[in-house]
Parts: sequence; C-alpha cells; structure tokens
Amino acid sequence: MTMRAFFDRLRSLFTRNASRNETREEFETHLDFLAQHFERQGMSPSQARIAALRQFGNTTLHQQQLTDMRSFPALSNLARDLRFAARRLRKSPGFTITAILTLALGIGASTAIFSIVDGVLLKPLAYRNSGQLVVVWERVRALEKIAPYVGANPRHEELWRNQANDFSDLAVLQTGAVGVSLNNADHPRFVGQVSGQPSLLETLDIQPALGRNFLAQEAEQKSPNTAIISWNLWQSLFHGDRNAIGKTILLGNVSNTIIGILPKDFYFPKPNELTFLPHAADLPAIDVITPLPSRFSNLSWDGDYGDYIVLGRLKPGATIEHAQAQLDTFSKEVLRRMPPGGMEPGSLSTYIQPMKEVIVGKSTRSLWLLFAAVLSVLLIACVNLANAQLARAIASERESAVRSALGASAWSLLQTSLAEVSLLSIVGGAIGIALACLAVRAVPAYTHLALARTESLAVNPRVIAFSLLITLGSTVLFGLLPSLRMLRIRPQQALQNNARSVGSLSGTKLRHWLIGLQIFACSTLLLVSGLFTRSLIKLLTSDKGFSSQHIVIAEVDLGYAAFPSSKRLAFENAVLDHLRSLPGVDAAALVNAPLLNGESNIDPVGQAQGPWFLANYRRISSGYFNVLGQRIVEGRDFDDRDRTANNILISETTAKTVFPYQGALGRQLKHDGKLYTIIGIVSDAHNTSLRANPVNMVYIGSWENPPSGNFFLVRGSQDTTLLTDAVRKAIWSYDPTVTIAHVTSLDSRIHEVLSSERLETTILSAFGASALLLALLGIYGTLSYSVTTRRQEIGVRIALGATRSNVCRVMLQQLLTPLVAGLLLGWLTSLAIGRAVASLLYGAAPGDLTVTLFFLALFFLASAAATIFPCRQAATINPTEALRAD
Amino acid sequence: MARPEEKSEVLQGTLDMMILKTLHALGSLHGFGIARRIEQLSEDVLSLNEGTVYTSLLRLQQQGWIRSEWGSSENNRRARFYSITAKGEKQLLRETENWQRISAVIGRVLALERQS
Repeated sequence: MTMRAFFDRLRSLFTRNASRNETREEFETHLDFLAQHFERQGMSPSQARIAALRQFGNTTLHQQQLTDMRSFPALSNLARDLRFAARRLRKSPGFTITAILTLALGIGASTAIFSIVDGVLLKPLAYRNSGQLVVVWERVRALEKIAPYVGANPRHEELWRNQANDFSDLAVLQTGAVGVSLNNADHPRFVGQVSGQPSLLETLDIQPALGRNFLAQEAEQKSPNTAIISWNLWQSLFHGDRNAIGKTILLGNVSNTIIGILPKDFYFPKPNELTFLPHAADLPAIDVITPLPSRFSNLSWDGDYGDYIVLGRLKPGATIEHAQAQLDTFSKEVLRRMPPGGMEPGSLSTYIQPMKEVIVGKSTRSLWLLFAAVLSVLLIACVNLANAQLARAIASERESAVRSALGASAWSLLQTSLAEVSLLSIVGGAIGIALACLAVRAVPAYTHLALARTESLAVNPRVIAFSLLITLGSTVLFGLLPSLRMLRIRPQQALQNNARSVGSLSGTKLRHWLIGLQIFACSTLLLVSGLFTRSLIKLLTSDKGFSSQHIVIAEVDLGYAAFPSSKRLAFENAVLDHLRSLPGVDAAALVNAPLLNGESNIDPVGQAQGPWFLANYRRISSGYFNVLGQRIVEGRDFDDRDRTANNILISETTAKTVFPYQGALGRQLKHDGKLYTIIGIVSDAHNTSLRANPVNMVYIGSWENPPSGNFFLVRGSQDTTLLTDAVRKAIWSYDPTVTIAHVTSLDSRIHEVLSSERLETTILSAFGASALLLALLGIYGTLSYSVTTRRQEIGVRIALGATRSNVCRVMLQQLLTPLVAGLLLGWLTSLAIGRAVASLLYGAAPGDLTVTLFFLALFFLASAAATIFPCRQAATINPTEALRAD
Repeated sequence: MARPEEKSEVLQGTLDMMILKTLHALGSLHGFGIARRIEQLSEDVLSLNEGTVYTSLLRLQQQGWIRSEWGSSENNRRARFYSITAKGEKQLLRETENWQRISAVIGRVLALERQS
C-alpha cells in the first residue's frame, strides 16, 4: 500500500456511508445498462436481468471488496470483535465482574510489590554513577564472633588513601543524631547527623546548593565549628532565607556556623541502614553534616574498629576484586605498624561492598520472597479464570461449531475468544495499575521501619512495563488455553446434541490438573506463611529475660561542651530522683545504651591474669535490674556504697565464660587496666537482640564515667502514654535545653524491632489467605460445573442405587489425585523455600510439624466447606428429571 | 508498483493496464463503457466477473492515475465517468515500454531455431 493509498483509506473512513450509496448507485446503473445490452441482443427483460447479474458477478462480494479497499479491514475487524466480545461479557455479568476484580487485585498487588522491589532493590542510588560507590569494611579475626566484618579503622584508611590507586575518592564518616535548635530557648529537635571528612561530598559527587563544602583546615581545627544543613532543615528553621549562610545553630547546645545548604534531593542512608549490624529503628532523616578531621593520629593502629565507616568511589573501570586485592596487600604494612604481639598475619583483611548492597542487602531475600508470593497468587487467580473461561468455551461449543461449518477459519474463531480475554485483561489491568498507584502512596507509612529507601517509591516506567508484561502473561495464561480448544473444534461432533456428557474427557482432566496446580501454589504459600507466623509468635512470646510492660524509655543526649563530666552526674542524679518521685512511678534507672539495638560498647573482659573475652559493657545506675524485672541470681544490685568502690555486675553467660570452673561472685575482673570486684550475677536476657542468644554482659556503675547518651528507664503503673508525657515534662523541667531524642514505651520498641518480621508475616499471610480463598473458589467452581455436566450420569447412578456417599466419592474421585499431588509438591517446595530463607525465620524450621498439621487441618476444613454444596447438589439429583430429555 | 495480492497478479495488472489504455485512447468513460471496450479487446479476462473492473478502477484512483466525476450518460442516466490523469499517462508510457521490452526478449527467445 503506497502512502497515497493509505491517506485515501484514511479519508474514506469519514465518507463510508456516502461511498457505499454511490457505489450501489453505480452498480445499479451498470446492471441496467448490461440488461439493456442483453435485451438488444434478443433476450427477454427477465432473462436479460439474470444474464446481467451473472455477468456482473456477486454484487455483495464486489461491494465488500471496495469497502475493504476504502478502510483498514484489520482494524475494523478488531473493533467488531471487541464490540461483540463486550456484548457477550455483558450477558454473563457474574463471570465478567469476578474476572475483572480478580485480575485487578492480582495485577494491582503484583505491581505494588514490584514497585517496592524496584524502588528498594533495583533502582540505583540517587548519586551520579552510584554503581561506583562502595563501603570498605575490615575483617578482623578477633572480632569474628561479633560480626564477620566491621567498620574500618581510620588510620588504615589514611594508608589506603595515600597508596591505593583504584579509588578516585575515599572518605571516613560517622552517622548518628543530634539535637538542633536555633537558640537556647527552644527545645532541641532530634535530627540525623553525618560527621564526615571534607572528601565526603566529593566522593558522593554532590555540590551544596548554597554555600560551600568544608575546607581541610576547618576539619582539623574544629574552631569555628561549622555545619552544612539539609534543604528541609533550612526551610523549617530559616524559611529559605538565603542569608542563613553564616548564621549559627546549636548542635547539641554547641554553636555551629552554617556554611552550606545541601540540594533539595539530597539523600543519605540512616545510621541503621549504613552499618555492618543492620537493625530496625525509628531514626530521623539525615539533616546535618559536620566535619571530621582528616588525620587520626590519636587513634591506634589496632582498635577503633566499627566506630567509623569508610566510603569510597572506585575509578571507572576498576573492579571490586582488584581494589580489594590491592588493599589486602597493604594489610601487611598495617600489621607492621601495630604494636608487637598485636595481630598475627592473615587476621586482618578488607571486604569491599557496593554501597547499595550495604543499605538494602538485608531486605533482598524477604522482598524476593514476597514477590514470588504475590506472583503465585496471581497464578492461582489466572488458573481460576482459565477454568471458568474453559467452561464458557465448552458451553458455547455449538456456536463455534456452527461458525466453523459456515466457513470461519480457526484463526477467526480464535480471534473472538482472544478479543473477550483481551477486553477483560485491559480493563482488569488498568484498574490494577490504578490500585497499585494508590497502594504505593500508602506503603511507606507501613514499611519505613522495615525497609530502607521507601520514601521515594513511585510507579515509574519500569514498573508500568512490568505491569503490562504480567497483564499480557495473565491474558495468555487464562485466555490461550481455552482459546486453543477452539482450534480443535470438530463441527459434526459438537453439533450433535450430545448432552449426556458434555465436554471431552481430556478437557475435564485438564481442568482437574489445573486445580492441582492451584493447590500446589496455595499450599506452598500457606506453609511458608505459616512458618513466618510461627516464627513471629515465637519472637513475640518467648521469654526475653526481662519484662517490657509499663516501661518507658527516654533517650537524652547531653552535649559534650555543655555537659562536662561533673554536670552530667548532677543531671542524671537529679533527673532520676525527680522521675522516681513522679506519681504512679514504681522504679526508675539509667543505662548508657538502648535495648535491643544490637551489640555495642564492646571491650575485652577477663580475669586479672588469663585469657580475655569480648563483652558488651553497660553503665547503669542502681535499680536498673529492678525496672526491667531481671533476676539477680547471686549477690546484689548496685547501691550507694558502690559509688566509691570498684564493683561490677556480670551476666550468667559472662560468669560461665570467664569463670568456667569456679563461682564468679567475689572474684575480680580486669577492665581498662583496673580491677573490679564482682558483687552480683544477673540472669541472662535478650537485651541486645530478640533473636540472638544472650551475649556476655558486664555492668559498671554510671557514676564512674557518666555517659553523654542516657537512656532513662521508668516503670510505672499508669498507662504508658501518660507516663511518656510525664517523663518528658520531668526531664525538660530540669533543663529545657537538653535534647530528648525520643520517649517511647519498651513495648513499642519491641514492636519496632520486629517491624520487618511483622511486615513479612502480614503480607505473606494475606497472600496465603487470598490463595486459599481463590483455590477453594476454583474447587467449588469445578465441582459445581461437574455436577451440571454430569447430571445424567449421576442420575443413572442414583437410579441404580448409589448412596449419597457413593455419589460424593464419584464426584471427588477425579479431583483426588491432582489434589494430593498438589499438596505433596507444595509441602516439598515449602521445605526448599524454608531452607532458602532460614535466616528470616526464628524457631520455625522448614517442615515444622505444628505448622504442617495446622495447615492440613485448615485446608481440609476449607475444602470440606467448598465441596459440601456441590456434593449435596449431586446427591439430591432427581434421577427421573435428570434422565428425561436433554 | 505495489498491489494487494488476492487474485493472480498478472491478471490484475493486465486489467489495470487495459483500463488505462482504454481511457487514454477513448477519453472519459463510465464503468459499463469501459467493460464493453475491454470485452472487445479480450473476452476471457472479464467474462463472468464484470464487477471486478470497479476494484481496478478504485485501485487506479487511489494511485492517482485516473480521476472520476459524476455526469450524465447518453440516455440521461446519472453515472460516474472516469478519465486518465497526467500521472496516469506517464504510468501508461512506462508500462508500455516495459511490456514491449519483455515481449521483444520473449520474441527473440521463441525465435531460436532448433539446432539440427
């Protein structure tokens, strides 16, 4: 077709009717002339007319050919098919609505989950060439029990910076949080903070939107104190005033001059995301950057692991393996500089990890699991629709047979069936995408604790492409199979009014095995979600070793400058007294580290002579164990006499580790060069992590070295929300300028800690429930349909004396094999999956008996419900009615 | 020259060319008139399917080689008259040259004597 012809066709679309009339007139004229021509040759008028028509040919055919040349036949056929399909669908509203809803929910859920997978795992970080950004960890053999790799020592990093040539930039940083205020009158607000060397912004390839980066000298001297703040903080504190550069803000009650504002889209991972010990915590976004000095000559070569993070940008073309190998050769140089007897060769090496992997690595497994789960639900839904569509196809077999007999090609029969399916998919898919867009907007509120990078989820082109792909896939799955039956229509067979047993044997078998497939997917999903549920229940109900009810934790940061050691002690004593005097408060105490935040403050512990072990140190006030309800197994808690003595408490595990053969009470421990006497042994508790086993704990009195980060624990008999407010007021009434990071109840802290487990379990269970529902609908639908199509057969059986149970058995017989096969395969698959995600589970091994039995019970109960009605229907068939005419 | 394939391409091409030639030689004609002239030229092509001339006419129109307008016939019947355009004349010339070249070659091939 040439261009000219194409445009002619296009133009003709608008003049269709007129052209048709004109052509008809032309043909009439031609036929009249032809008839006259034959009359002149001697025929009678009627003979001439017949001869003219015969000579002219089939007018309708000619007219159709002309119409085809004046339009786009393919398109108009498509339009006709779609209109026809719409009409047919309107006639069975039940099927249509169910199909559209099922598709919309399935496609919507899959799209939503994929947009989470995309936003968290697949999307590159928001930095230029973010694939080059890496974190350099160190593997320290002595610390292996704590973590396989830890934050690097900054002095080692200096060496790398000077000698390694695979990196274009390296920067040392620390993440944390700080209280920000404009002046001493405001309560400081708690924001995230990064302390980084001046090379940090260069490594990330970020320019301040206003102002400038730190200079090397500023980082060294630390005076004047400078800071770069985020766009959001600038807007909320200074309302976007451009003269904010040069103004001062208080960071931890210390005055800092603002030298720069970060760009609006600045992003930096939170402290619990960029770490070697990921854990869930409700932390504020990073709003402040302060400088770190470039030289760390006051740090040792062996030690200070885990306190800093080394971020680097690889040069284009450099690989991680090569960079790592190169850095490892410097380890020898590092070991050489350590004090003798420090570390053996081979006990120190590096581990370079891409930055994105550091941030999202821990969520990878669970997100892909959720993704697989939602696709299984979609699969089950599509099989349901395929079965329903198959049934409809069988029901309309006569229509297709007639069309086939009249000359319709197999392809055109397929076209009508595909048109129906496509219409359902288009509508269902469109609604699904719309639902996904809504869901994605609501998701971050639920997932911001469990997943990193969920602040910027969006339905982007990649997600839409995925959505279209699965819509297409669903269409093929639930539309193609029944449509293929169309191709095998044998008109004669179908036209025979053969109602005795409608539907070929192979068709029924296919439908039953599809049910088997559904049962397989459903049971896998339910068993896996059962494992997660059991795991979560265990986490929530297992004995933590301490009581979390009615306890409020208040985190208070005392800035170094405003609160030197003496002032800190006074502050802590005064606040504790005040808290203890509040109405409804039973006990109050202090500790220098948060609960359930992983291991921290790790130092060696051991007897005066002898081997040393690693332990978590905590500085506590007296009454700490009383607040938490931890039992003191031997000895006593701290009290006032301990303020002048060097006394210490240890946990049961520490006692067993350091003193395996004797009792520990009364013996001495060495820490930081001093000897301490053990005055009490306290019971083990899950105070660093709910999942890990209790670790070595050592408790020192906080009066010795009052901490700057204080966690006040208050147990009261009143409602924790009231207590929370009371505690906050009490602390600020003593000094309104201290930064209260947050005040929450211990129960909600536990809730927070389990946020990813809760997310996984909730979503998997929701999918499992949907899968079960869909599978049961499938079974019910298939059985109902069987009853209808096998009416006569069942009628005969009943007439011949079959009992109710016989009939039921007959009905279910064909389903039994696929069902059992599906359950078995599902169980085996759940074992495999359980093993693959074992790290996500707790106390629930794959193949867990309780879960399996529970699932089987649930499944049989539900199947019984689904099969009862069809069976009853079958059993109450009146034989004489059924055997009457078809 | 692109044409849709439904029937024999040669047959369609022949019919199209015959119509062009007819209009070139005899000026403006309506469909019936064209059919009669072609019948005189070659009976086999059109017998029993005279209506196909309209398919050719539409195709020639879409290519821009002929144009049509309504007018009145000898006995004052309203009819559509077709006439060749300048583009059509050029096309006819091109096709004629083509045919002549081909037939010359075939003529030479057929004139080859058996080598005895």
